[in-house]
Amino acid sequence: MTVLQGTAAAAPRPRRSGGGFWRALRGNRKAMAGSVILLVFVVISAFPGLFTSVHDPNALQFPPRLGPSTGHLLGTTGLGQDIYTQLIYGTRQSLIIAVVAGFFATVLSVLIGVSAAYLGGVMDDLLSMVTNVALVIPAFPLIVILAKYAGHGSLTVLLVVLVVTGWAYGANQMRAQALSLRNRDFLESARVRGERRSYIIVFEVLPTMTSLIVANFLGAALYSVLSAAGLQFLGLGDPNSSSWGTMLYWAQNQQALQTGAPLWSIAPGLCVALLGVAFALMNYAFDELSNPALRPVKAKERKVRAAVAAKASAAAGAEAGASPSPVGTETSPAPDPADAESPADPDAPLLQVRGLTVEYATARGASVAVAKVDLDVRRGEFLGVVGESGCGKSTLLFAIARLLSAPASTTGGSVTFKGRNLVAMTEKQLNVLRWRDYSVVMQSAMNALNPVRTIGAQFKDAIEAHADYSSEQIKQRSVEVLELVGIDPVHLKSYPHQLSGGMRQRAMIAMALLFTPDLVIMDEPTSALDVVAQRSLMVQIKELQQLLGFAVIFVTHDMSLVSRFSDRLVVMYAGQVVESGPTRTVFDTPAHPYSKGLLDAFPSIHGERVELKGIPGSPPDLGNPPAGCRFHPRCPVVQERCRSQEPDLYQIGEAGEVKARCLLLTSDDEPQASRSLEVNS
Amino acid sequence: MKHVLRRGGFFLLTLWAALTLNFFIPRFMPGDPVNALRDRTRGKVSEATLQQMLSSFGFKPNQNLGAQYLDYLGNMLSGHWGLSIGQALGEPVTTIIGQALPWTLGLVGITTVLAFALGTLIGIVAGWKRGGRLDAILPPLFVVTSALPYFWVALLLILMFSVWTNGLLPSDFNYDTSLVPGFSPGFIGSVLQHAVLPAATLLITSIGGWILTMRNNMITTLAEDYVRMGRAKGLPTRKVMYGYAARNAFLPNLSGFAMSLGFVISGAILIEYVFNYPGLGYLLYSAVQNVDYPLMQTLFMLFTVAVLVAVLICDLATAWLDPRVRAKE
Repeated sequence: MTVLQGTAAAAPRPRRSGGGFWRALRGNRKAMAGSVILLVFVVISAFPGLFTSVHDPNALQFPPRLGPSTGHLLGTTGLGQDIYTQLIYGTRQSLIIAVVAGFFATVLSVLIGVSAAYLGGVMDDLLSMVTNVALVIPAFPLIVILAKYAGHGSLTVLLVVLVVTGWAYGANQMRAQALSLRNRDFLESARVRGERRSYIIVFEVLPTMTSLIVANFLGAALYSVLSAAGLQFLGLGDPNSSSWGTMLYWAQNQQALQTGAPLWSIAPGLCVALLGVAFALMNYAFDELSNPALRPVKAKERKVRAAVAAKASAAAGAEAGASPSPVGTETSPAPDPADAESPADPDAPLLQVRGLTVEYATARGASVAVAKVDLDVRRGEFLGVVGESGCGKSTLLFAIARLLSAPASTTGGSVTFKGRNLVAMTEKQLNVLRWRDYSVVMQSAMNALNPVRTIGAQFKDAIEAHADYSSEQIKQRSVEVLELVGIDPVHLKSYPHQLSGGMRQRAMIAMALLFTPDLVIMDEPTSALDVVAQRSLMVQIKELQQLLGFAVIFVTHDMSLVSRFSDRLVVMYAGQVVESGPTRTVFDTPAHPYSKGLLDAFPSIHGERVELKGIPGSPPDLGNPPAGCRFHPRCPVVQERCRSQEPDLYQIGEAGEVKARCLLLTSDDEPQASRSLEVNS
Repeated sequence: MKHVLRRGGFFLLTLWAALTLNFFIPRFMPGDPVNALRDRTRGKVSEATLQQMLSSFGFKPNQNLGAQYLDYLGNMLSGHWGLSIGQALGEPVTTIIGQALPWTLGLVGITTVLAFALGTLIGIVAGWKRGGRLDAILPPLFVVTSALPYFWVALLLILMFSVWTNGLLPSDFNYDTSLVPGFSPGFIGSVLQHAVLPAATLLITSIGGWILTMRNNMITTLAEDYVRMGRAKGLPTRKVMYGYAARNAFLPNLSGFAMSLGFVISGAILIEYVFNYPGLGYLLYSAVQNVDYPLMQTLFMLFTVAVLVAVLICDLATAWLDPRVRAKE
């Protein structure tokens, strides 16, 4: 590592196989089970004499076909050998085959795969082609034929055959990963330093591929164990060798099953199976570790989930009314939220969120991602929600739309939309409202549109779920909305990947407008676009909003983006609303130090030139938020009381339109009337 | 069009590589095939017939290697597969294979497709209901079943359902030989009965892999925005599960299916051997045992072609199901 020191261009190498990885591996039950089995076999193969008192496993020295007894734990073979002793002595060969063939097959995979990726060009084409051909040619028949031609296979012949037929699968994977690593920063920096290619491959590339290489070795070892046993079982190995496969061959040859000596073939088969299972379990554990989503939910986490779910259904029940039964059971009708269809107060906001709380169940316990959020959206209003990544703004949106999925759930509060509480509704009841009354536009249309269906088909899905239109009507409406956002209707027949980024985003907005809903919830719909496309899309959203009169909740991290379009702003930090008010007021005179910091982090196009400042530090861990004001560790004007006293959302300003969560707005414990706030920077 | 040409080129290249391996292995491996053949046929066949057989095998020691090779390629591709020099001495290889092929297609083909379809379906449901109690037990279970040796599962099943139960299910051959083959209910029943254990063996050992890969693909896909979007649109759950999640999660499995056929063939050889099931796998085993080169060569070519055809079919299916692949063509 001394080479890396003192080089300015040294970028950190991703640590896929660091200490944490091995610790995680130790915590994985499958990996542990596999290792224990393997370890037992290793010990047995190293010291077979310790486990049995019979010295020659193959000598025909006992009466044949004895049943299990203390003298012969597993009985004797039809030829008069002790089965248990044969198993003990056969372990070594199977292990040698697994380890040696697995090792050389992996070496070959790495050599060919990594060379193909790094040599590129014609060599890559050639090596990939060879790999693919080798992958398709059925290996086992080839092994059978090879083993036969090579005479009754010695161990060496067997190993060579297994390596020759076992490398291709790994080589393909190695090539793919090496290709994906090729342009990563840490390799780029090594190249800039002028390191030789061979040095880069050995010291930079291979270490990052460790987990794939180990996984490959395990896979190749599994393949070798099973193939070798199969081959020996067919009688294509050395019939005088001590191995499980050879035992199986003789057992089959002498009809062990039919002649009352089933253990003769079942026991060595079980050993082969156990060794194979050991490799397979470890291999799968590696898969799980490199993709944590695949891991089963741990018992501890499941308990947390259950607790969170219980809170969630309690929240749903409490908000639904006095009904004691949990909402979601179809049999006991909770007070139908539809009863409240026409709210008594015509001036009531379209959407009223009160005390909305979202918790994530993790193995360490529940983590509050959204804490008691209140917000209102009036008809036709454009509400901006801003905050850094990880502040809970997207979670808030999905909670409002009731689109959270495990491990996140809404554990408190209400979302009253057109007089009905969405939190208390079942999925079925929600499906009636969805898309007809409120729709959602997501961050990246590339990911939010189903890649295998045409735009038109996806429009049709949405329409069919909510209305009984004829196919003519569906077509007509689809054309209408596409024209609304300025896309040629021929693109109804296009797939998402055939459209440009801006067009996809427009198509998604068009889809959101199919039923001209009252509310469109937008989650950073412009963040995947360049600045010019961003701006034109914003203008278009605003125009459509004025034309059709729907309300918008618009989430973004870019405060300057919403400044010109939103009516009101909500600033979020660490799961809480820290400031809310009319956009203009918040912009001109931010009341919370965090809002001011956010504003300073983005350049103003029209304003005077000021030095851009970010907010030092990063958002807190929501599983363990700081005591007192959550912003205090990063706050430039922090006071002593901020560290212990939790601020409320104080109403400030003459009209009381602005609310901010900052103790500095209060004198000791009384909310202050003055809305001026000196933030020294 | 370019894509089609490339795939066609790959098909021919692989076929050529397999045939070439087939040609050179007997010639460069220790052990002389000509002597082996002479030993086997001593006394049974006249020297002239032997010569004819040798030439049908493509082995003409006096000819130069290049000419032999070209002859051999021509014969293999044009279906002139020669005469068997194994147990069925002198019988055309085409006849022998013609008799075994339907049994393997019926047993192994149907079981494999069934395992793939069933495994995929269970994987979809397992992935959709991820995090439940069942999901903590199923994956390790299927990791274990998919690592079990084919022949051992076969032996266990024979022991349990045939030996210990006094022949509840047959464990030998493909039908009761006392019956006359034909479309009689008794014969068809016997065929099905004989297929139960070998089919179960293949199913048990291969379904786990499909369940696991499909479950894992499903879980990866469920995190995609378009699945959440399907819910946001208020689509019925079934539509989101199949039309949005599974439809996308299934695509990588298709190419995996073609590649796995190689393993299925190894399973077929071992299982047919254990059950004395007269299909192509058993035929390869006996061809190898009897040093029946013409039969061995042809079988190996057919196995390669089978995998290649599966690769092509899966390619076509992928192109049909995935517009992004079509776009690359």
